[in-house]
Amino acid sequence: MADPARSDVAPSKIEICGVSKRYATDDPDTPLVLDNINLAIGDNEFVTLVGRSGCGKTTLLNIIGGLVESTHGDVKVNGRTVSGPGQGKGMVFQQHALFPWLTALQNVGFGCRNKGVHKAERDQIAHQLIELVGLHGFEDKYPAELSGGMQQRVAIARALATDPEILLMDEPFGALDELTRLEMQDELLRVWSAHKKTVVFVTHSISEALVLSDRVILLAARPGRIRREFPIPFPRPRKRTDPQMIALYDDIWKSLA
Amino acid sequence: MTTSVRWQDAVLGAAGTGGLFLLWELASRSGLVSTNVFPAPTTAIIGTLQTVPLADILGHVWTSLGRIFWGFALGAVLGTVIGIASGWYRALGVLTRPLIELLRPIPPLAWIPLAIIWFGLGEPSKVFVIFLGAFFPIVTSAYRGMIGIDPALLRVGQTMGLRGPMLLIRVAVPAAMPDLATGIRIGWGLSFGVLVAAELIAADRGMGFMIMNARQLGDVDVIVFGIILIGAINLITDYAIGAVIRRRIGRWHAI
Ligand SMILES: Nc1ncnc2c1ncn2[C@@H]1O[C@H](COP(=O)(O)OP(=O)(O)OP(=O)(O)O)[C@@H](O)[C@H]1O
Ligand SMILES: [Mg+2]
Repeated sequence: MADPARSDVAPSKIEICGVSKRYATDDPDTPLVLDNINLAIGDNEFVTLVGRSGCGKTTLLNIIGGLVESTHGDVKVNGRTVSGPGQGKGMVFQQHALFPWLTALQNVGFGCRNKGVHKAERDQIAHQLIELVGLHGFEDKYPAELSGGMQQRVAIARALATDPEILLMDEPFGALDELTRLEMQDELLRVWSAHKKTVVFVTHSISEALVLSDRVILLAARPGRIRREFPIPFPRPRKRTDPQMIALYDDIWKSLA
Repeated sequence: MTTSVRWQDAVLGAAGTGGLFLLWELASRSGLVSTNVFPAPTTAIIGTLQTVPLADILGHVWTSLGRIFWGFALGAVLGTVIGIASGWYRALGVLTRPLIELLRPIPPLAWIPLAIIWFGLGEPSKVFVIFLGAFFPIVTSAYRGMIGIDPALLRVGQTMGLRGPMLLIRVAVPAAMPDLATGIRIGWGLSFGVLVAAELIAADRGMGFMIMNARQLGDVDVIVFGIILIGAINLITDYAIGAVIRRRIGRWHAI
């Protein structure tokens, strides 16, 4: 259950009600990919999903994003049932999925262009975000000319460009080196607190989840269920070496195994 | 590929072709092969230019290029539109694909008799078979390009608020472009081959006709000249198309 105090104050930003999922190609005898997931995510909350590979994190994120239909149950955003993808929900995909025919700058500006933002303004936003993700000087490179980590940073900038209320991020820092990863975590927290976003984040790194999140949701695989929730009540910026953080790390680690 | 490597390749390629021409020239001049059957390239070129007025030659080239332009343009436009639409609208794909697969293996030249009955001996029958030569490779590669699109790219487009025709134009069509470009290049080569063959069979102008006419007159020089001319024009036009494609998509897609 969500933090009761929080849900008293404001209605949830995202409500996941009894969501189950079986892919059409699945054998009917196999356990569900997602089995009766219930989760309420508050406005401006930072929630992280962790769990073993294949437990359905990407599937759940895609259902929230309206890209994949649930078999049962539904997802509400701002109290309205999600019926498809659209504006207001920025997504960063596990396989960054940049448009190969657009330069880094054009990729970042893509969403703004669809919203009809004029070129000058669009370029200004894109330049700022390119700067933010540390890719100054690479604006005119095509994705094929960028390293994996650079591509991922372009994808993050692209998701931020339309300033969505909700950010759905699927292992966005997976391909980054440790130093860049830490920098990007800081940047994400800065953007998140400055622009009041609701974030659903997926990671395989428990320490990343601990540094970033208000709440960590641990998913179990086949059937995909919520195994445990861990509120992270510590103020930010957090230190990984904090004894309380280490204790929590061990706790999550044990539940995961 | 770096420029210098590409340069080297070009020089090597030119040297190979030049070498072959040189061998041919020598074989012919030394009397190894009879000049009456297979004249040296220089003999053929000079001989032709002496007997056939340049204006006539250019007229044949112009006629052929006009036919191929219309046939190819028609095939490229229809092939692109039908291929993309079939890849985008599933129901349409189910309808068109078996039809295309059925007709595709038929050599365009097999349509010539029918084309003559339908369109007569004039230009439209030639344009029609050239159209077929361009249409099938282009429609198939456009379709393949469409169904091979990484679904993740379409998802990104959707999360950015695109749907329907806008998603098609902004995401799907650019994503299918490399396949389409390959189809266009293959289609051009095929139209060109079909053009000459069609002119050999039924025409009173054009490069194919020029060759066929020379055979009746027994003028081997003109035949050899015509073959060299066809090869050269195909080479130049294909290179031009390749260059345009490289400029458009070469930076983001390795060709
Ligand atoms: N499009 C699909 N069609 C059929 N089955 C799918 C599809 N996508 C995912 N699955 C299956 O659903 C399960 C969950 O996949 P999902 O991608 O959601 O896992 P994940 O938790 O994101 O894993 P990872 O950590 O490796 O990214 C897997 O067993 C996978 O095989
Ligand atoms: Mg995943």
